[in-house]
Amino acid sequence: MRTPICFALVSLLVFGHGMAHADLAKGKAVYEKTCAVCHASGLAGAPKYGDAAGWAPRIKGGVAALYGSALNGKPPAMPKKGGALDTPDAEIKSAVDYMVASVQTKADAKKDEKKPEDKSAKSDKSVEAAAKSPPAAQAAAAATAAPAPAAAPSQAAAGAAAAGAVAAAAPSPAIGGNADVNAFNRLLKPAGKRNLPPTEDGIHDPTNDGTAALQPPLAAYGNLPKSNAGNRIDWVQAIGGKKINPRWDRLDPKAEPVVMDLNIIREVKGSMPDVVYPHKQHTEWLDCSNCHPAIFVPQKGANQISMAAILLGQKCGVCHGKVAFPVSECRNCHSKKKDLPVAAAQKTAETK
Amino acid sequence: MYSRHRFRGLRRSLAAAIVMLASIAFWLSQPAYAEYGDVVINNYSDAAGMRPVVFPHWFHRMRFRCKVCHADLGFQFKAGGNQINMLKIIDGQFCGACHNGDVAWSVENCNLCHSAKPGTPTQVHESTIQKLAAPTEPARK
Repeated sequence: MRTPICFALVSLLVFGHGMAHADLAKGKAVYEKTCAVCHASGLAGAPKYGDAAGWAPRIKGGVAALYGSALNGKPPAMPKKGGALDTPDAEIKSAVDYMVASVQTKADAKKDEKKPEDKSAKSDKSVEAAAKSPPAAQAAAAATAAPAPAAAPSQAAAGAAAAGAVAAAAPSPAIGGNADVNAFNRLLKPAGKRNLPPTEDGIHDPTNDGTAALQPPLAAYGNLPKSNAGNRIDWVQAIGGKKINPRWDRLDPKAEPVVMDLNIIREVKGSMPDVVYPHKQHTEWLDCSNCHPAIFVPQKGANQISMAAILLGQKCGVCHGKVAFPVSECRNCHSKKKDLPVAAAQKTAETK
Repeated sequence: MYSRHRFRGLRRSLAAAIVMLASIAFWLSQPAYAEYGDVVINNYSDAAGMRPVVFPHWFHRMRFRCKVCHADLGFQFKAGGNQINMLKIIDGQFCGACHNGDVAWSVENCNLCHSAKPGTPTQVHESTIQKLAAPTEPARK
């Protein structure tokens, strides 16, 4: 019983779509030449192309009324045939169709999406899934078992079914976004995933034409000194060894930085070596005003710094862990050995 | 009987389509591997129907020291913290200080900056905060 309906639907989609296509192409041309002047931006209260809310009350009056308005004009703003009086009536009508289609295709597409999902969810499959009874599949079956009279609930059911399918297909994403929660070193990036070109890096959209035009990091890094973290480039060595010479001024390539050679020693708790903060390496890149006084008060003992704060992106963490080397490189900062305290047992042995 | 058979085939292909969609959704949820320090800026892009911006920090630091952008041009040390829009850029502020067809290429190359996958949230990619076992911010998709 369902099959003929299905075929009817499919054939309507295929043939109806094909027939409409030719007209819409003509309509599009007329729209772009004439109608878009107002209907693209909504000038003078014109319903915008693709704006379903703007078109809805007008479409309610029937397409014939819309044709009438387009052909004869509609006060106060719509001129006869949009002002292009030499355009044939049929073409004006197809332009109307084209604009109407812009708001209807979206709704239709939604309907089309819903229908197949609904059917598949209600099919015997969901019963089979329930028999196997993994919790996610059960939830999906329960969701679809309830009749879905209105559009919104049926969508919810379809969503639940889809979510169930995802959950069944794969474990839920772990912390850090990795698929396998027990993978070795799941928070670390394997060698093959470092410095990927933009088209493969997961952030850039590979379907964007500009993405392919961007320079891949490895093509630029060349022989720059390597490090173990971040970009895996030792930027301090790169600039110190004159491998790169980034400008200090936006326009003047000869401007030189004002380098200040002053180490600040920060004594730290426990056995960790004290921190040596070198102004030199920082002022190669930065201006005093970048850090002082907003991030660091330029006064001894005035700044409370903790690794927790740094991890959360404060103090040193404003850059380190975001764009400068991350906290995994402990010894880059904790570099001044200190006299370690003697173990308690040893101490008592000495005093005896 | 025949029609029933056909319908079953259709149903099967629909199920296959759903599985495919699910796997695509799963693939999209895979971790991203963009370069360390890449900044995604999505203050207004998604809402405006543009791809979010990816700012390749590494590329710029090879050419300019931090001071140029972060002191002279006034970029805050915070992803999405500068409320940059195209008007400011064409008026020569922020990116527009260089991306003006003079120091660097101009704003007509929309897709070189607006190149992130739609829906990518504002972030400094691979920042330590994203790797903390107990995220302090809503987890990145």
